[in-house]
Amino acid sequence: MTYTILARCPRTGQMGLGIATYSIGVGLYCNGLRSRKGATMTQAFVNQGNNPFALRLLTMGFTPTHVLRELQRNDPDHEYRQIGVIDREGNAVAYSGPKTRGWSGHRIAPGAIAMGNVLAGEHVVDAILSGFTASPDAILEHRLLAALEAGRDAGGQLGNDGHLTERSAAIIVYDDADYAELDIRVDLHDHAVDELRRNYEEYALYRGYYTERGKNPAAAIPQHEFVRTLPVGEQPA
Amino acid sequence: MTYSIIARCARTGRLGLGIATYSLVVGGRCEGVAANIGICKTQAFPNRHNDPFAIKLLADGYLPARVMEILAANDPQHEYRQIAIMDREGRIAAHTGPRTRGWSGHLLNTDCVAFGNGLVGEQVLTGMIEGFLADPATPLEYRLMHALEAGRDAGGQGDATTHRTERSAAIKVVDRNDYPDIDVRVDVHPIAVDRLREVLDEYKKYEIFYRDRGRNPSQAIPQDVFVAGLKAAPPK
Repeated sequence: MTYTILARCPRTGQMGLGIATYSIGVGLYCNGLRSRKGATMTQAFVNQGNNPFALRLLTMGFTPTHVLRELQRNDPDHEYRQIGVIDREGNAVAYSGPKTRGWSGHRIAPGAIAMGNVLAGEHVVDAILSGFTASPDAILEHRLLAALEAGRDAGGQLGNDGHLTERSAAIIVYDDADYAELDIRVDLHDHAVDELRRNYEEYALYRGYYTERGKNPAAAIPQHEFVRTLPVGEQPA
Repeated sequence: MTYSIIARCARTGRLGLGIATYSLVVGGRCEGVAANIGICKTQAFPNRHNDPFAIKLLADGYLPARVMEILAANDPQHEYRQIAIMDREGRIAAHTGPRTRGWSGHLLNTDCVAFGNGLVGEQVLTGMIEGFLADPATPLEYRLMHALEAGRDAGGQGDATTHRTERSAAIKVVDRNDYPDIDVRVDVHPIAVDRLREVLDEYKKYEIFYRDRGRNPSQAIPQDVFVAGLKAAPPK
């Protein structure tokens, strides 16, 4: 029970992931992105070794198709995994194991994968991909958020006893640096995609200030002074 | 303004970081925790390159003290940074730049460093170390949580006239694998340390279920069934 968008921005080469799930603290599992190398995610019944292993294979030069084959041969429980792999050129492959639960599947577009399991149906991954591709000129994090919101609005996850809410969610974007350009999460919430949007909007007010403060500290004003420059409605209580 | 602790569990070799700050989404800027290698955290006016660079240097075999010298030589703004480094054997280096703001400092103890800036005073760091050392038998994530709570209770961030709340917080622990063992965060919240305790306690109820589900999927019950069981008989 999870839905995910994995994507490369063709304009910038940034690698990104958006994920929402009934499980809590999902951000812990999202260690499959690396600047200029690729993006990968294993979900459903997670093999936590897969993401770092797949990234090393991509870095060595394996194609996404070949990476997926190596993951399969290296894992006796491969059929329980759902996996997406994208390389730095946007070549994308995905696998939804036959033993993942509920409605489970994926959709692939150039440079993007929508995938999920225990979903309300195929229309959820279609909506995620449509949400992502709707605004190709937007920055990657906005496209990832739009994809998650479209997945939520299409019905999201459906368990045995009905709709399952998103209890955690995350957006991660890597640019050139070997640290994340954006890594924002909701680990425990009743409506994690909604909360992720709120947190993102608030963080967006500070992002430029945080970046500049580190790069040019001598010119940085203290944060409590910066906060007073925000619109009145955006200032913390 | 931030207070942090980096630490090593002497029993298990696990490495961890606990951090709380007025800034938003601090957990998204904590990549310097590497299993079997060490920890580096740069804060105050952070140079984001420092932590991944330091981890590479530690992995190459440089001692923490030498890593710190290299970071200093590599950064014209080193005086604005606050940095703590620990290797997998518990060797430590710490630096509080003279240009960090407010009350700023670090405190070393066995297998841990507490460090912070924009704090109400040294009692915050003293409290964190005491919180960390209070129960060495408990898992590292709880010791880090105790340290953050003790830092909060000792006054946390602010100055003589103003207290500044924690708006984000995180705990990250690595064991032997190249993915984290514990990685819990609160990114935007009015009292983030309090909320982090709730998230950690809730996550710990699921930790074994999540791990076993991935390692032994054919035996896993669906999560909604697991959750129903939790509600019927909460773990003690």
